[in-house]
Amino acid sequence: MHVHDLNPKKALATIIIFVIIIILGFVTLKRPKFIYKVSLQESIELLKDKNAYFYPWQLVDVINKVDNNIVLIDIRDIFSYGQGHIPGSENISAYDLTSKKYIEYLNRLNAEGKTVVLYGNDQLEANGPWMWFKQVGYENFKVLLGGYKYYLAHKDNLEETKSDKSYILEVPDFNFAEVANKGASIQSTTKNTKVPVIKRKKKKTVAAGGC
Amino acid sequence: MNRNYILLTILMLALATGTLFLKKTPNYNEIKPQKLLWEIIQPTRYVTTDQVAKMIINKDQTLELVDVRDTKSYEKFSLSGAINVPLDSIAATSNQDYFGLPGIKVVFYSNDDIAADEAWVLTRRLGYKDTYVMKGGLNCWIRTVIQPQQPSEDAPYTEFEKYHFRKGAQIYFTGANIEQGSAGKSKVSIRRKKKKAVAAGGC
Repeated sequence: MHVHDLNPKKALATIIIFVIIIILGFVTLKRPKFIYKVSLQESIELLKDKNAYFYPWQLVDVINKVDNNIVLIDIRDIFSYGQGHIPGSENISAYDLTSKKYIEYLNRLNAEGKTVVLYGNDQLEANGPWMWFKQVGYENFKVLLGGYKYYLAHKDNLEETKSDKSYILEVPDFNFAEVANKGASIQSTTKNTKVPVIKRKKKKTVAAGGC
Repeated sequence: MNRNYILLTILMLALATGTLFLKKTPNYNEIKPQKLLWEIIQPTRYVTTDQVAKMIINKDQTLELVDVRDTKSYEKFSLSGAINVPLDSIAATSNQDYFGLPGIKVVFYSNDDIAADEAWVLTRRLGYKDTYVMKGGLNCWIRTVIQPQQPSEDAPYTEFEKYHFRKGAQIYFTGANIEQGSAGKSKVSIRRKKKKAVAAGGC
């Protein structure tokens, strides 16, 4: 049967049904839970924003409950949290961050304009989740520099860490070009460096390894 | 002319004009945010300095080292065979050719691992697979591969295995001509067979 044999009424009905189905599809289309609100280039720029980070000495106000506008979130698992955490922090394991219960809570905090500070054992653990939240539009999220480990080592003198910069990462500890090409002389010169101290700590976690 | 034709033509034209108002999306294939977060939480992207050293020594053709530090630092020192894609320009179209090559493992590194990890998150968002992060970065590289520390006497056996591998790697990378500890040296040459069994570890 050719198209021009079609009954005009039938054709019209088909077209209308077709259009209705398409419209229905659009209406019932499930909106994704998260969308990227920040472009890739913008999120690279965000990384340079000094205000996007939370500094260890800023914890003093949170621990002493002076600043109620800051909510500390411990993203480690519940066991690590149970063994020790920063006073006043809440535990939402990284795996639960977007579960219905917690995301509603985080949405509320974000809407209220609270500053949400994520922390893990070190900066690296919370850095990815923090970047992610920034990219999907949670503007008031920050990441704790140094993480829990740094806090634990300095919890009695947090104020003084203002002058300490050891929690700032991505600073070369060596003159790479010089050290890497030193060759034979390395043997004698490195024996007395501070490095062994760092190694010892790691020994406990033989299988896991990593920095 | 048939009325149906006209009707259909108008409908098609209307739909066609509709496409003009579609929001412009970037030409790369971003993965869903939910998926990205899930992968961020997994620690599977981290490789140790030992693993990277091993791949370089074995001249692994599937390894692509990407230095995400600035160009100046890269020119001063970089790992052998590494290319330079500063974190700032990782989204640039000209740099996209480096990623997503089939069968190639991209390993990001920086001074520590934060910048490399950030590069990983950004490129993963773009949908590139087989990307990794060198845990500890160059600071860890120097501490483990270039300046390995002898484990204490009571250290577990794996520590010694690791140490001997690193001594071998040190010689490879620095050209160090180490005379002392000839026993250690001979162990290094035997090492090759055992390589697979060596427990990987970082700083």
